[in-house]
Amino acid sequence: MNELLALPREWLAATGEIGRFMGTVVGDVWGGRVLHFFGETLRQAGILIVSSTLVVWALMFILGLVCGTEGAYFLEANGAPAYAGVFAAWCDLREIIPYAFGYMMAAKVGTGIVAELGAMRISDEIDALEVMGIDSMTFLCATRLLAAWIVLPFVYMAGMGGAFLASYIAVVQQVGFVSSGGYLLIFWEFQNPPDFLYSLIKAMVMATAIVLVGCYYGYNASGGPVGVGTATAKSMVLNLVLVHLIGMLGTQIFWGGNPNAPIGG
Amino acid sequence: MVRNVAERAFLPARSLLEEIGDMMILTGRTITAALRPPYPYGGEFVSQFLFALRLCWFPLLLSTVALNYAAPGLQAANFLTLFGALDRLGGIFVLAAIREIGPNVTAIVLAGVAGTAITADLGARKIREELDALQVLGVDPVKNLVVPRFLALMLVTGLFDIYAVLFGLFGGLLAEKVEGQPLGPFWNTLFANASTTDLWGSVLKCTIFGAIIAIVCCYKGMTASGGAEGVGRAVNQAVVVAFLAIGAFNYTFTQMLLATHPNLLVIK
Repeated sequence: MNELLALPREWLAATGEIGRFMGTVVGDVWGGRVLHFFGETLRQAGILIVSSTLVVWALMFILGLVCGTEGAYFLEANGAPAYAGVFAAWCDLREIIPYAFGYMMAAKVGTGIVAELGAMRISDEIDALEVMGIDSMTFLCATRLLAAWIVLPFVYMAGMGGAFLASYIAVVQQVGFVSSGGYLLIFWEFQNPPDFLYSLIKAMVMATAIVLVGCYYGYNASGGPVGVGTATAKSMVLNLVLVHLIGMLGTQIFWGGNPNAPIGG
Repeated sequence: MVRNVAERAFLPARSLLEEIGDMMILTGRTITAALRPPYPYGGEFVSQFLFALRLCWFPLLLSTVALNYAAPGLQAANFLTLFGALDRLGGIFVLAAIREIGPNVTAIVLAGVAGTAITADLGARKIREELDALQVLGVDPVKNLVVPRFLALMLVTGLFDIYAVLFGLFGGLLAEKVEGQPLGPFWNTLFANASTTDLWGSVLKCTIFGAIIAIVCCYKGMTASGGAEGVGRAVNQAVVVAFLAIGAFNYTFTQMLLATHPNLLVIK
């Protein structure tokens, strides 16, 4: 029993540490200290675009396909195949695609940051930075956070477009219970700009949490090459839980008592 | 010039195909090694099983309750409120909790938690040359390390699916309570619409997810290279490949299940 409870207890202790770390990094960005390293920020943004964007879009696209498939069959079963767009719109925009974004961000970007910073930490490169008089936390963590904030909204919007396309392909081209025009009419009817904004906020909060958790575990890695691997694995656990909790809170806050649908008064 | 561009474009594609081929070969070797006697992997199997269980039960619980409460719970309840038909929420949970979210969240959490731990473990052994040492001693790493992890992860993922479905339904009950509804109609529509096919489809899908995760993570761990950064990078790649593979397989499986079992789609 003690063994089973070891994990939650360890988490509680880590939460405080991580909170303080996150506060420092966000303060660095907010206070503008990160602008001393704007070149490095742009470089990180470039790395993010080149190396991570395609994989993130791939998972968003695949889950868009699944949303479309389930929606088409479910609404067919209800005897309203023309309304597959309702399911697809809500599944894509409000719930599943933000999660897909969070999952892939955690997998690709989060663990990537841990592996990179962890390797720097154990080969004493971070200490070397400090010796050279560079604030390592600003240089390594705050630049990555700012880069994520610059790039990711656009990545997310484009990925959402890909997911919409995927749902369209699944519902109209593949399953084919509804015509193209009929599907699109309902699909666009059941979403509006506030929905999109809420979805974007949800995804960006997830992305911020993921980058910060990745920085924390990488920056504080220890114990040689094995330690880097373990830290990478640990960061993934926390990231997954955070993604789900943020997703739940976002839904509760934005759509909890507000269906935001064009039905009734 | 043209050659240069072509090489730049095709090199990643080629290495990707090679990697997939390598993983298939590893799958084949694992299955033959698992079936052919002797069977020295009993102890390792049990310890890996318990390891995955200990690591995953808490993250999976949080994740599955949160996801089911929010996505099918609140959103579907929102939609049904408009028609005054909140009692139909149970029917939606057959689709959501049992068919999709249960297996998918289990696979994502298992890949992210147990899979990464396996890759980190095997990767560390690889770069400390322990795997080579095993081979020199005449111990087959596939039989003694990969097979127990493969079997344990398949079993634990399949079982965790039921756990995830149960807690997913708990999330649905929470949503129903938040909307101030009695729970009787929820159970009623749930059991009216649930079928055995849904459940075995879910468990089967999840078991295959477990096999995919185990192979990807073992492969990435056993081919880690490049010192300190190598293990971290291996974990990174393992979880990315595992997620994509899970997504691709889920899409294929869902399509096949829904298209071949029209009786799943009858609303009762």
